[in-house]
Amino acid sequence: MIEVERLTKDYGMAHALKGISFAVARGEVIGFLGPNGAGKSTTMKILTGYLLPTSGRASVDGLDVVADSLQVRARIGYLPESTPLYGEMRVDDYLRFCAEIRGVPATQRRTAIGRAVELCGLQRVTGKNIVELSKGYKQRVGLAQAIVHEPEVLILDEPTSGLDPNQIVEVRNLIERLGQDHTVILSTHYLQEVEKSCSRVIIVSQGQIVADDSRDALVAAMPRSTIYARIQGPEQAVRNQLAELFPGREVQLSTEADGSLHVRVGVGEAKAPVEEALARLVVKNNWSLLELGRERSTLEDVFRQLTMEASVEAMHA
Amino acid sequence: MREVAVIFRRELKSYFLSPIAYVFGVLFLGIVLWYTSTAQILNGQPASMEHFFRFLPLVFLFFLPGLTMRLWAEERRSGTIELLMTFPVRIGQLISGKFFAALAFLAIVLLFTIGLPLTLSMYGKLDWVPVLGAYLATLLLAGAYLAVGMFWSSTTRDQIVALLLSLVSLLLLYAMGFPELLEWLAQFLPSWGIDLLNGISPYKYFTSIARGVFDTRDLLYYLCFCGFFLHANALVLYARRHRG
Repeated sequence: MIEVERLTKDYGMAHALKGISFAVARGEVIGFLGPNGAGKSTTMKILTGYLLPTSGRASVDGLDVVADSLQVRARIGYLPESTPLYGEMRVDDYLRFCAEIRGVPATQRRTAIGRAVELCGLQRVTGKNIVELSKGYKQRVGLAQAIVHEPEVLILDEPTSGLDPNQIVEVRNLIERLGQDHTVILSTHYLQEVEKSCSRVIIVSQGQIVADDSRDALVAAMPRSTIYARIQGPEQAVRNQLAELFPGREVQLSTEADGSLHVRVGVGEAKAPVEEALARLVVKNNWSLLELGRERSTLEDVFRQLTMEASVEAMHA
Repeated sequence: MREVAVIFRRELKSYFLSPIAYVFGVLFLGIVLWYTSTAQILNGQPASMEHFFRFLPLVFLFFLPGLTMRLWAEERRSGTIELLMTFPVRIGQLISGKFFAALAFLAIVLLFTIGLPLTLSMYGKLDWVPVLGAYLATLLLAGAYLAVGMFWSSTTRDQIVALLLSLVSLLLLYAMGFPELLEWLAQFLPSWGIDLLNGISPYKYFTSIARGVFDTRDLLYYLCFCGFFLHANALVLYARRHRG
């Protein structure tokens, strides 16, 4: 559905994109992750025809984003970053304007607008001026605008930034629903958003793709898990015994408010039953074990690791 | 055409959704009607619209930049330009829609001055043909001013900057139509330079049409003038796609 090949974009001397390539299949929901200035928005602006690439090519549905720009734009619904809207317009007037300019036939316009209004939960505010709406509602108007012409592809640039937690959940649910019958690319800072709604994650950093895989595969590729435990016992003895049990690994020990000891040990990929060994140790010494568990690495760890690596490399380059 | 019509309707409507329409309308009509009535009726001259039409280029100079300053600058400031430019619409269609909306708004305001010739025709014999011709010339002149203003609006995200740049450039264009200034400039410039300056000024062409002499060359001039600035406007927008 979407193909991007060695796309670059320079802003003057700055290289915003340094040759990124990826493909998105029909129906996929892609999470575009990356720190600010990584090139997420630039990529989206090129796909939507707002900016021209410096080199490389991109196509949507087999149509080139530069040569067939108008046809590409007709197939895309776009929510730009920070959701620009015509504040002085009423919600229904605005959606009608968007439907008209996108060429929704007059006979279907009412249905199309009604569908977008319902999907985005705007029924109560259609008669209001956009300026009067809360940020969450404005965001929904932006989304309604993006889907009113029933596009095949949705490109959403940070659809939940600046919203409060309740609004984020609402918008996220909405995106999940839209993902059922659209090809979606969404960029975000919030990793939970990607965990919840995206089938695939592309992480960009410094204008390059540093990871492109399913969320699970990315997390699985991170060989980092941590054992944590809460133990009631003499601190010095616990420290010594644990160091013996986990040779060569760093053991973090801290005292909790109730006097128990909080233990964290990074055990890497160790498949061995380290939990069991730890439990035996506690029993043997007649301490008490209040809590024991294992933390797997999260997408956040993956993100931090990859984007840090890229920026360190960039600094050395 | 559909795209132009959709943009046109939205822009025209947005004039009336903001206070600009009313402030503009009241001030413009107030000044023009006050000036015309004092100049004309008190002097007891024969019924003619000449004063009215001769005054318009000067008033437009100060008023029309106010109509065009937000056309692009506001889109750039609020980011809605990103929506416009990602709709499946050509840049030329966006520009046409906005331009004709501004012109239509002005035409609506001018419609309110129709009471002037009507009053005159009640008290004396008024020749309507040159009056209608002069209204047409006024619209052409306004189109030229609006094209300049809209061009400047596309170059900035600040409406006030757009306003000032339009004002200064229109003032220069206006001045270039005055023989007195040109005579003075003739000391420093070769004669072809003077002809060029005078040839560019929209004011020069206006005076003949306003007097009721209609020449297709004048019409052609206005079309070229508007075309030049509207095209420059498009180039600014294209350049933004490259630069980002």
